[in-house]
Amino acid sequence: MPIIDASVHVFFPGNGDLRGFMHEPYKSRGFPDYEMDWYGAPGGEYVTWAQRDGMYPGSDPDFTARQLFSERKIDLAILHPMTRGMMPDRHLGTALAAAHNEMLARRWLEHDTYGERFRGTIRVVPDDIDGALKEIERWKDHPRMVQIGIPLQSHALYGKPQFWPLWEAAADAGLPVAVHTEVGSGIDNAPTPSGVPRTYPHYFTFMALNYVYHLMNMIAEGVFERYRDLRIVFADGAGDMVTPFIWRMDTFGRPHLEQTPWAPEMPGDYLPGHVYFIHGSMDGPGDRPEASEWLRMTGKEDMVMFGSSYPHWHAADHRELPSAWTGEQREKVLSGNAAKLYGLQDALTGGGSRKQVTHP
Amino acid sequence: MPTNRLPTGREHVVCADDEIPPGTHKVFPIGRHGVGVYNVNGVFYAIANYCPHEGGPLCSGRTRGRSVVSDRAPGGASVVRDGEFVYCPWHQWGFELATGTTAVKPEWSIRTYPVRVVDHKIIVTA
Amino acid sequence: MTFSEIRERAAGTGQAPVRVVDSDVHPVPKPGMLVEYLPEAGRKAFDHKIGDTIFYDAPDYAHAKAMRVDAFVPGGGFPGSDPDLAFRQLVVEAGSDVGILEPGGRSHFLPEVNSAIMTAVNHWIDNHWLDKTNNWHGRWRGSICASIDDPRGTAREIEYWAGHPYMSQILIKAEPRPAWGDPKYDPVWAAAVKHDLPVSCHLSRSRHEELPMPPVGFPSYNHDFMVTYSLLAANQVQSLIFDGVFERFPTLKIILVEHAFTWILPLMWRMDAVWAARKSDVPHVRRKPSDYVKDHIWFTTQPLDYPEDKLELTNALEWMEADKILLFSSDYPHWTFDDPRWVIKHIPERMRTAIMRDNGIAVYKNVPQTVPAIEGQTIAY
Repeated sequence: MPIIDASVHVFFPGNGDLRGFMHEPYKSRGFPDYEMDWYGAPGGEYVTWAQRDGMYPGSDPDFTARQLFSERKIDLAILHPMTRGMMPDRHLGTALAAAHNEMLARRWLEHDTYGERFRGTIRVVPDDIDGALKEIERWKDHPRMVQIGIPLQSHALYGKPQFWPLWEAAADAGLPVAVHTEVGSGIDNAPTPSGVPRTYPHYFTFMALNYVYHLMNMIAEGVFERYRDLRIVFADGAGDMVTPFIWRMDTFGRPHLEQTPWAPEMPGDYLPGHVYFIHGSMDGPGDRPEASEWLRMTGKEDMVMFGSSYPHWHAADHRELPSAWTGEQREKVLSGNAAKLYGLQDALTGGGSRKQVTHP
Repeated sequence: MPTNRLPTGREHVVCADDEIPPGTHKVFPIGRHGVGVYNVNGVFYAIANYCPHEGGPLCSGRTRGRSVVSDRAPGGASVVRDGEFVYCPWHQWGFELATGTTAVKPEWSIRTYPVRVVDHKIIVTA
Repeated sequence: MTFSEIRERAAGTGQAPVRVVDSDVHPVPKPGMLVEYLPEAGRKAFDHKIGDTIFYDAPDYAHAKAMRVDAFVPGGGFPGSDPDLAFRQLVVEAGSDVGILEPGGRSHFLPEVNSAIMTAVNHWIDNHWLDKTNNWHGRWRGSICASIDDPRGTAREIEYWAGHPYMSQILIKAEPRPAWGDPKYDPVWAAAVKHDLPVSCHLSRSRHEELPMPPVGFPSYNHDFMVTYSLLAANQVQSLIFDGVFERFPTLKIILVEHAFTWILPLMWRMDAVWAARKSDVPHVRRKPSDYVKDHIWFTTQPLDYPEDKLELTNALEWMEADKILLFSSDYPHWTFDDPRWVIKHIPERMRTAIMRDNGIAVYKNVPQTVPAIEGQTIAY
């Protein structure tokens, strides 16, 4: 059975290397490293087996490829570079994103041996729409860039109109938009609605759930009514929460549709074909008999895609999926949904993206 | 509600047609919950005074229109078809009086009854 | 039957078994009544004219005021301001037997002012709903309202009311920061467990970062606001568990009112998975998070959110062991009112008496097994 790992995080090996991909005046600016200060995982952010002396985890294409493709039998990996925090200076944010996009394309997507098995994410900064549209324009026709990536953290919910040009560009380009927690330090708010959590497990349990705020707002603002080709991937997982929250949005939201005539359908009707989730190691009921029925509910079996989040400490193993899942569910989650979303069917059957890659 | 209810399943002459002017309604003690007779722009409709959602007193709710996107109006929305919908006074579910169903899918239906006017008398079959 | 007829016939009819414990009823003071009970510290909140403060408005707000429109008092009076009308509509017509009263109450930015307001609310409810005249039928129970952002003031308020025969719980808010696991709140839990009173929380609204403010931006409308509001409750659950509150206070009982509840199912799975992987981060958390939920936390049935396929709700109720954690509630007289006869239809039969009655009798203080019978009362199931 083919396996697509829909969320692998890659990094620059070091700051010197990153600055090498940047132009002045941004090259000489100050910005945070990848590691989080307040909410960094105690004991280390990455799995030990992805570490090697002198190498930043997830920064070496050959090493990563051997671990994913040879050892873990992944067929295709969708690479999602983390950038460097939510920057107050949105221009600097875009410069950092652009450097990561360039590195991703040159070093990973155009790798002589493994490039055909990597796919990439165009990182953009939602606070800099102008810069984001330029980055999308620059990379959208690269044959191995398959999605756009934005941070989960924001000061405004993604249904608000200032973000609509981003959705329009993504929909026009046929590229899904992946939303994922940005690492590093920046001007993001405290991670929970009660402020700062006291423990790491509390932080980690809650942080991913912030997508619910974005999703409900996007639905109520009619984003999916307006941009019928838009697809969003919530890449921190926690797709299980969509079931109770869409029940609530349908039940409670129904009489409120009078306040939002630009979103006339029942909220739940906007999910199919628009909303997707990564399925990681903390997702699902575990190996319980109800796991199969739970996955079927709310159409989640067509929405979730296996993603390891390699090289993070919670890196998921595709061999540890619930035994109760049907063969069809397993196929969808392991590759079918991602193949359909990102147009990878040919790549899986060996057609591959062997086109000559030209530099934009 | 008064305790002397009229039986269901037959024709009831409820009142004269000029007793329910356009935009108004009256509730009559027919059946278990009562029947509301509405005048919407000169056309009469009769519905059960019972919301299929949780059993609220539907005819105690307001009649209104529905909101639509309206690019010219400030705020981008306006209301059309005023008075054609009754909204339950509990959870504000809206039902179209002419069809007896919700405009929002999935459709829920309210119980409606045939109404006709003969010699200026409103007759409800319930 | 008129109200006086009901009252006349109630005398001497004996006791009836409690069938429905209603965990959420909203009494409202008549205009000017609350000010009489305000201590000096609370006067600041009432020394200037205040108009409507609504934003994130429920449907048709100008006319319905987020209430059941048929609950406005004939002759004038806001829904919930007349104990007799509440008795008739909720107890007689809908069939709730015992109603746990949960007053709202405005918030002020000064904790000591909040405490003074709560003191006033408690005296008001004692005199106007729990007194012999208004509670002649013995069915109302009250909440000791307290201001969690003033933990010592809260502990004092609990001590004052703890012996009251009709106070059944403590009532706090979830919006103040930090989350409940912070040790600064320990005096509150200590006073609660000392008197074996559950601590209940009803959703509310405050200002700024305590609206509650989502970390990623403010919602646009009442529905994206109210739906995502549950994440505040979910966050408090995570704090209680991961900060070890139930280890420090092993008999503490927490009730989350009107925060919805179906989200606790996937949250229990998620917390258990994270705890299993990160135990060394929280050595003080000795049990699986879902075990703490099932032993210490209750949720009200209202608002009952459901999918089109009711079997999915039934399955979810089974998987979350809903009979261990749910309490029936109506939210009378708000517009989101759930009728007990309607709720019953959605609960698996084997769970009905637990959720409609037994859990309420067990978790609340001073809720009896029988109450004076009322002739003509609806029997909900």
